[in-house]
Amino acid sequence: MTTITAPMHVSEQEAQLKLKLALLKDIRRSVYVYRVDCGGCNGCEIEIFASITPIFDAERFGIKVVGSPRHADVLVYTGAMTRAMRPPALRAYNAAPDPKIVVAYGACGCSGGIFHDLYCVWGGADSVLPVDLYIPGCPPTPPATIYGFAIALGLLKQKVSAEHYVEQEQEQVPLRFPTVPLDLRVALEREARRMAGYWQGRKIADQYLGYLANGDAQHIDEKIGELLNQADDPRLAEIYANLHRIYLDGSKS
Amino acid sequence: MLNLLKEVIKVGEATTKYPLESLDLAPGFRGKPVYNPELCLACAACTTVCPPNALAMDTDTEHGVRTWSLFYGRCIFCGRCEEVCPTGAITLSPDFELAAFNKNDLVVRADFKLLECRVCNRYFAPGKELTYVLALLEQAGLPGPEVAQRRSLLEVCPECKRKCNVESIKRVGVGNPVEVKR
Repeated sequence: MTTITAPMHVSEQEAQLKLKLALLKDIRRSVYVYRVDCGGCNGCEIEIFASITPIFDAERFGIKVVGSPRHADVLVYTGAMTRAMRPPALRAYNAAPDPKIVVAYGACGCSGGIFHDLYCVWGGADSVLPVDLYIPGCPPTPPATIYGFAIALGLLKQKVSAEHYVEQEQEQVPLRFPTVPLDLRVALEREARRMAGYWQGRKIADQYLGYLANGDAQHIDEKIGELLNQADDPRLAEIYANLHRIYLDGSKS
Repeated sequence: MLNLLKEVIKVGEATTKYPLESLDLAPGFRGKPVYNPELCLACAACTTVCPPNALAMDTDTEHGVRTWSLFYGRCIFCGRCEEVCPTGAITLSPDFELAAFNKNDLVVRADFKLLECRVCNRYFAPGKELTYVLALLEQAGLPGPEVAQRRSLLEVCPECKRKCNVESIKRVGVGNPVEVKR
């Protein structure tokens, strides 16, 4: 068995950065990618393979997944970097010819994701290697993957940037549905969540409360009818019927 | 051969034009969480539910600042934050273009001022949240003068409330909070 004497954390010099930029310029239409799974759930792998299938077809930009780090220009690290995968990750890094681009892929690769505080996890590729590009997502969708490579290759510009807000004087938050009684709102929100689950439930409840708050209580039947015609979903019809029943019961008593 | 060509023409091109053109996303696609700090109460509901701790809240009681932060690099786009937010300050958008060269570009921060306790003058809770709670009480049917009384009670930190005996809490309640023994 080969033993690895690489340092805990590979740091890099400025000269290497220059080489990397030169590499990115040279490989523009022929990017060889090697994928290293460092303890992921394989969701990221599935999305990487989805992005080289005909629908998203990363190969039209020359992006090709190769089977050996010795052929690679770009190393894509997925997974939260478990303790056991640190030596293989370093081995793949050392095997790739210099200069090389390291991509941290997925929430786990970027920062450890949902596993960031586990005992057996280093927490992201950048805890072991110098990372050049972060592609967040859980997993990143094929378009997000292609976007990541597109900004690395200079086809698109990076969109996100660090933001920092500071609270202004006299900032006040308005109540969401001030005209709807509190207990009715709670009852509607609970029922919608019970029927549709947490995220959709909130959306459906908000839609219904929006109708109530706008004072369209009389025309609410028509509005819901319109909405249901558009959505064409029997489950939605049942949920709205339940919400409306709660509203009518509330207004009777 | 001719049949194959016919078939190919019939099927057309399956490959999307992205990134050269924008992409049609399915309805209900959960992408980048967009944050509106003006609507945020700094109540920390989102940071409590966030499964991977992408959302975090750091309270500095020395300087009276509470810092809310969101790290896209850890977000799993579950939408729990959107669901629990009482004011709709955070919503998931269909934007998926999040890749960045620098980790710091993936962080959103917001600073909120904390309120001082009426008794011990130590910072303890965000002022915005307190105002919102009072507005909610008013909506729930509490008469105006009583809301003003509640304000003086709510402006005392939990620790001071605990320290005070029942008698003193009563005095705080009727709007005479300064003479509380510690």
